[in-house]
Amino acid sequence: MARSIVIIGAGPAGLAAALEAERQGARVTLVDEGQRPGGQIYRQGSPALGGKDVAEAAEIRRKHDLLDAFCRVRARLDYRPNTSAFALFGPREVHVATDERTQVLGADAVILANGVREVAMPFPGWTTPGVMYAGGAQSLIKGQRTLPGRNVVVAGSGPLPIVVAAQILRAGGKVAAFAPLHPVTAGARNLAGLWHGRGIVLEGLRYLATVMKAGVEQLTGFVPIRARGTERLESVVLARLDAAGRVVKGSEREIACDALAINYGFAANSELAAMAGARMRYQQLTGGWLPEVDSFGRSSVEGIFVAGDMAGLRGALVAETEGRLVGAAAATAPEAFVKQSFEQSWRKELTRRRRLCEFQEVVRAMLAQPRALFAVADDDTIICRCENVTVRNLRFAFSAGHLAPNTIKRSTRAAMGWCGGRTCLPMIMALAEIHAKAAPSAMMTPRPLARPVPLSALANPTKGQSDAEQDR
Amino acid sequence: MAGDSQSPRGEPVGQQARSRHSSFAGDGGGASLNFRFEGQVIAAREGQSVAAALIAAGIRSWRVNESGHHKGALCCIGYCFECRCRIDGEADRRACLTEVREGMRVERQIGLG
Repeated sequence: MARSIVIIGAGPAGLAAALEAERQGARVTLVDEGQRPGGQIYRQGSPALGGKDVAEAAEIRRKHDLLDAFCRVRARLDYRPNTSAFALFGPREVHVATDERTQVLGADAVILANGVREVAMPFPGWTTPGVMYAGGAQSLIKGQRTLPGRNVVVAGSGPLPIVVAAQILRAGGKVAAFAPLHPVTAGARNLAGLWHGRGIVLEGLRYLATVMKAGVEQLTGFVPIRARGTERLESVVLARLDAAGRVVKGSEREIACDALAINYGFAANSELAAMAGARMRYQQLTGGWLPEVDSFGRSSVEGIFVAGDMAGLRGALVAETEGRLVGAAAATAPEAFVKQSFEQSWRKELTRRRRLCEFQEVVRAMLAQPRALFAVADDDTIICRCENVTVRNLRFAFSAGHLAPNTIKRSTRAAMGWCGGRTCLPMIMALAEIHAKAAPSAMMTPRPLARPVPLSALANPTKGQSDAEQDR
Repeated sequence: MAGDSQSPRGEPVGQQARSRHSSFAGDGGGASLNFRFEGQVIAAREGQSVAAALIAAGIRSWRVNESGHHKGALCCIGYCFECRCRIDGEADRRACLTEVREGMRVERQIGLG
């Protein structure tokens, strides 16, 4: 009998895993929160909108190749858009929900390809409407053909802010200032890494050229220290920080703008892996709490696999390659899985992934997130936006000995709101580190529901199995 | 009301906003449609989300939370829940995931809505 596989997430890792698993004869259910496949990096807008794609040609090609391949097999899969996985207790118990109904899916294997989310640095005024994540701004351009504002400041670490600034310009928008935290040459001494990622480096240089040619003011090493405005953003003050996170006197620059796009790193959407009981490890720069996996994405829980950025931030190319490896492994019965022979037959892909990961070392040099950034937030700065928990509230909790996320949550209500701590938890961990010298010791216990689900949907369960489990 | 979303003559404001290049769908894509935000008629494109249409019209805040803080879009992809507002009378709808429709009634959500 063919293996049944539930895949969660339809970005590059999930799509590639679905394609490979299907090719190996598995019955695949693909669950995705998006309306259309592609995830964040290959986000597709409504076909009704049209408009031009402002990404690099090579990226557009990768996107279309993968999405076209998916379209060809889509009819053979149980593909479920607009569907969230909100609890996971093992491959036989995957709880999913749409706006209207819930269902428990069961399969021989589950592949988690939930990706990462963005992390901000908090500063006074960062909750002003108009301040948004850089990837959020990019999703407006990609998915909505809409600019995040008329005059945008872009700030942050890593390559994403460069891409977003360039795409705003290519879409006809104005970038008031571009403030990369690290020089774009931060990882340039890693020649081997650069060579392995030369295609992507070239794409990055083209984006950078767009920003340079437009004459955008470049403020390397500056970070936002204050946003002004009440109902809407009016200006941003950018400044340099010293090693302790204090503003370097005289470095402040106030820039008028109606949108600020920021990104200071990523956090893995690893709640479901932890909920299923997978062993986790902490690695700040690649996404915080990550499930431990082997080279074929096998977690510590039998039948739970992980692919792509959720197993550590490494970008879309790694995600797609890894998706294929993990899809093949998950499609193989555990008793038939012989690691050595698998490594032999997938040697090419494993080498490709290893080389691309070497390039990621270059990227990581640009991603470094000094803890001093989090000293910019003053006592009144809101950290948990859902429950209005401020730095003052958190410092009080720290001083009372609450240093782990579970007890911080219970004592402050931080991370108890609508977003489930997705926005605030990485910041809270950084604040605990700088204000109370507390190293990350434990993940917040992930409990169902990992996503808000309407009571009406919970009251409307679909009985029976997923298509993946039925014989066809 | 958000500054330049006001229009003394009451004509749709999104169109002008677009000519100031907040939206670049171009003439080829997305049929024009009108919806209302706080009673004000706003022009949008078919296929745009409510959040994108509001941003294109120069509006940044469409919720005031229990503490009086203005709220708009943050993640733009559905997980942060900051962009909740009242849509066609229903509270807590995410503006970033809801496609705008002709005649839709969007209201600023106050507190729990």
